[in-house]
Amino acid sequence: MFELMTLDVKTLHEIERKLIKALTNGKFTLNVLTQQTGLNIDQVRRGIEWLKYKNLINVNEKTIKFLSLGIEGIKAIEKDLPERILVNVLNSLGEVQSIPNLKLACKLSDDEFNAAISNAMLNRWISRIPNSGLSNTLIRTSQQTRESKEEIFLKKISLSSVSYDSLSDEEIKAYQSLRKRPNYIEKKETKNIEIELSQHGLGIVEEVNKQSETERTIDVMAPAPIIFAGRKNPLQDIIDEAREIFVGLGFQEIEGPLVQNSFWNFDALFTPQDHPAREMQDTFYIAKMQASRVADKKILNNVSNIHKKGWGYKWNINDIRRFVLRTHTTSVTIRYLADNKPTETKIFSVGRVFRNEKLTYKHLAEFYQVEGIVVGKNVTLRDLMGLQTEFYYKMGLKKIKFWPSFFPYTEPSLQSMVYHEKLGKWIELFGMGIFRPEVTIPIGIKNPVLAWGGGLERIALLKYELDDVRELYNNKLSWLRSVPKCQ
Amino acid sequence: MPVITLYYNHLLSLVGKRKSVKEILQTLPYIALDIEEQTKDYVKVEYNPNRPDFSTDYGIARALKGIFGIEIGSPKFQCTGTNVSIKVDPSVKKVRPYIISLVAVNGKLDDEEIRQMIAMQEDIHEGIGRKRKKISIGIHNYDVIKFPLLYTTENPNFKFIPLNSNTSVSMKEILESTDVGKQYGRILDGQKKYPVIKDRDSNVLSFPPIINSELTRVTKNTKNLFIDITATDLKVAEDALAIMAITLFDAKFKIQTVKINYKNKNIETPNMKDNIKNLRIDYVNKLLGLNLDTNEMIKCLARSRISASKDKNIIKCRIPRYRIDVMHEVDLVEDVAIGYGIHKMTATYPQSSSVGARDTLMSILDNSRDVLSGLGMIEVMNFSLVGKEVQYNMMNKNDDNILAVEHTKSIEHEVLRDSLLPSLILTLSTNIHESYPQRIFEINKVFTADRSNIKEYFSIAVAIAHKDTDYTEVKSYLQAMLKYLLNVDVDTVTGINPMLTDGKSAEIIVNDKSIGIIGEVKQNIINNFKLRVPVSVFEINISDALKI
Repeated sequence: MFELMTLDVKTLHEIERKLIKALTNGKFTLNVLTQQTGLNIDQVRRGIEWLKYKNLINVNEKTIKFLSLGIEGIKAIEKDLPERILVNVLNSLGEVQSIPNLKLACKLSDDEFNAAISNAMLNRWISRIPNSGLSNTLIRTSQQTRESKEEIFLKKISLSSVSYDSLSDEEIKAYQSLRKRPNYIEKKETKNIEIELSQHGLGIVEEVNKQSETERTIDVMAPAPIIFAGRKNPLQDIIDEAREIFVGLGFQEIEGPLVQNSFWNFDALFTPQDHPAREMQDTFYIAKMQASRVADKKILNNVSNIHKKGWGYKWNINDIRRFVLRTHTTSVTIRYLADNKPTETKIFSVGRVFRNEKLTYKHLAEFYQVEGIVVGKNVTLRDLMGLQTEFYYKMGLKKIKFWPSFFPYTEPSLQSMVYHEKLGKWIELFGMGIFRPEVTIPIGIKNPVLAWGGGLERIALLKYELDDVRELYNNKLSWLRSVPKCQ
Repeated sequence: MPVITLYYNHLLSLVGKRKSVKEILQTLPYIALDIEEQTKDYVKVEYNPNRPDFSTDYGIARALKGIFGIEIGSPKFQCTGTNVSIKVDPSVKKVRPYIISLVAVNGKLDDEEIRQMIAMQEDIHEGIGRKRKKISIGIHNYDVIKFPLLYTTENPNFKFIPLNSNTSVSMKEILESTDVGKQYGRILDGQKKYPVIKDRDSNVLSFPPIINSELTRVTKNTKNLFIDITATDLKVAEDALAIMAITLFDAKFKIQTVKINYKNKNIETPNMKDNIKNLRIDYVNKLLGLNLDTNEMIKCLARSRISASKDKNIIKCRIPRYRIDVMHEVDLVEDVAIGYGIHKMTATYPQSSSVGARDTLMSILDNSRDVLSGLGMIEVMNFSLVGKEVQYNMMNKNDDNILAVEHTKSIEHEVLRDSLLPSLILTLSTNIHESYPQRIFEINKVFTADRSNIKEYFSIAVAIAHKDTDYTEVKSYLQAMLKYLLNVDVDTVTGINPMLTDGKSAEIIVNDKSIGIIGEVKQNIINNFKLRVPVSVFEINISDALKI
């Protein structure tokens, strides 16, 4: 709770000051306060919350009953009350009439007619003639037929609905009388909030009035409403960070299809056709479709020959037409190299790759891979280690070591181990190597090709301190709205 | 990738006691063995599939001794001839045409060593054997076999006592009712006769590639072994037999050859002839970025257990038969690097004046993300492979033209998305307890099938959910995005879409071309996803929009 002793009148917001000034004149509802202060309803609501929190006002909830015309009441205003109809008819026919005659002339229903008689009698507009027979009673008008209290009341509420609390004693009697007649009066209840200054509020009125606008400050300690920033996805931030590093190192970005034919995903990368990675348990193939055109004849021939020579089997051209969801971005890189045949280039790509896996905290069926490629006459394995070191350095990872490794399409191959300060351990990051001659020669690349790459989700997990890779794709707004940009 | 368990005691006894466990653990990664698990008694390492000679600790000790300089150059290997022979009946040609073999005598295997031999056999079956399709290995007790042997075929009703059984079972029954039969039986699909190895007395040794007989079971009392490899690929069979031979030799067996008599030719196995390859000195230095002289390079190769000698400007390498990973000169470059020590190689930084740049399309997508997040939206990230139910059925869309993948492991990842909107609606449905308004977007690829081609393009989709959202609101966002991104004015004309409420649904037109859809999501979809507020959306094909 806000401590009263520390309340500085200067910190009151302009809205609060306006409300306090208005409340000096009494207790009001929200609507009245809106009129009196010139603030809009939201501002008034907000101000009331603040003042309540500071204990400067009391907020009382009150139920208010409003009375207005019902369906029968509206008819009565248009056509007069039945008792008025009765006396008018009586006046026009003569002072004394038998009840059956009168009933015929009035055109009222039985109930209405009976009620009209009793009400007219209560108003002393009519009376019975004594000593006459029951079946043929005669009635005469009274001398005075001024407006009844019911008529006055109906007229009043026909103009606007009236609060029950504001009724006079006479009006209450009229209401009680009319209430007995069905659908004449409607009663509606609404809850209304009335605000008045509290004891403490009254205590500061004088000071508030004295304070000039310029001296006003705000309660800087008060909490502000929560708003959320629009933002890129946190994983996209990691992707973009990697791209930025590549661009900074002088690499050109390339982008290509996620659906590849088997040739570019496997065969062109010297992966034998019976390699386990090509089986359906590991790789997604598109059902019922085959590529019609795969690559130009010369490249097909070259690749076919190199497979025969290296793996000693007969290469099956039908196998290369199957559509596969690329298992690495290298299928795009190799195609780029085959199309452009550069003698020197530095390119990179970031994109999704696929594995036919069950989703677990460690594995996804679909994830982002980053890949860098350098072609050059004099590039070496040590250069690849250098590029790697620079790349990690820019990501804030400074302790790196290299171990030998194996990939089907690079030789020599290395894997990089990076020391993670926060975790206090070495973790495996990107793999790398120099493309095998069996990969580069068939597509007409003569110079060595350095390549490295790996998954980005792993880096994202470290950065965002998550331990379930699926969380990156859960799209929980609570997380997306709270995870900071800078880690 | 295959993993093997190395007990320190055994490994140290093979490497030589002068080395400590610590030194070994530090060195393993530098011969490309990844440490998976480490305890006080053993270490588990993962080896690469190109090195099946690392499938026992004999092979790993062989490499370590080279790196430590305890024993360098090509490993010692000897074998002697025998009169043991196998006759090959021509009927096997159609089923499993090749058999090769060796005999290993005067050895002794303890339980741990038997376990390793069996693990090696399984690893070879799985890896280069391609789940026994290409090759399968049988290990037998030599002493119970009467030579010569016959490799032939028999009818499926032919009976013998298979391993772990005490009664005769027909080959047909073995395929139908045993685990190995069910697992590998498919290799024999369509064959009328099955391969079988018998001895002189017609006792069965093996029904390859399925199971051995109980008769030749190996126990820890077995001192003499007979190894057979049957195959559809002779080269791979020879590779595997060479690895078995060197491993058994290192395990102190004496290796003897076996004569194989085919109809037209006779061969003697194992064939342990070195593979001779020339290595150019400048090629090595150029690829590695080192400046080694010939002698240094020969030493590096020797530490990688390859004997080499200088021959004018090149190095002649004698690659032991079991090193099946050496296919090309470049593979020897790696052996030089490993012999030299990867940890001794320092990084160099290539001089380069190239200018980096983002891809044009990708930078437009970057800008789209900036504009949409500037408009207060949050980017979400969904998979390209989605479930059919969410993508089509729950979205009122028919699934006639789906692009499905084969054999998915999860029906939630079965079809390639043709629109990002269903994923966005799904995202909203998983966030109904978060505060509203929710304004989200996604930028990713979508896919369509076009006769024999698959087209993919980038799509931008937006979804807005809160109690007062409507067509007008989402159109404001569309206008703002296209204006800020591409400075184009957008038209929306009445369109009908199964996902969108009629009368509150339009096509997005820019320069007379339709680039997407916009509207309020139909109430039944809102109900399908158990959403509690209305949703308004748009999706545009940004690749098309850019062609404008």
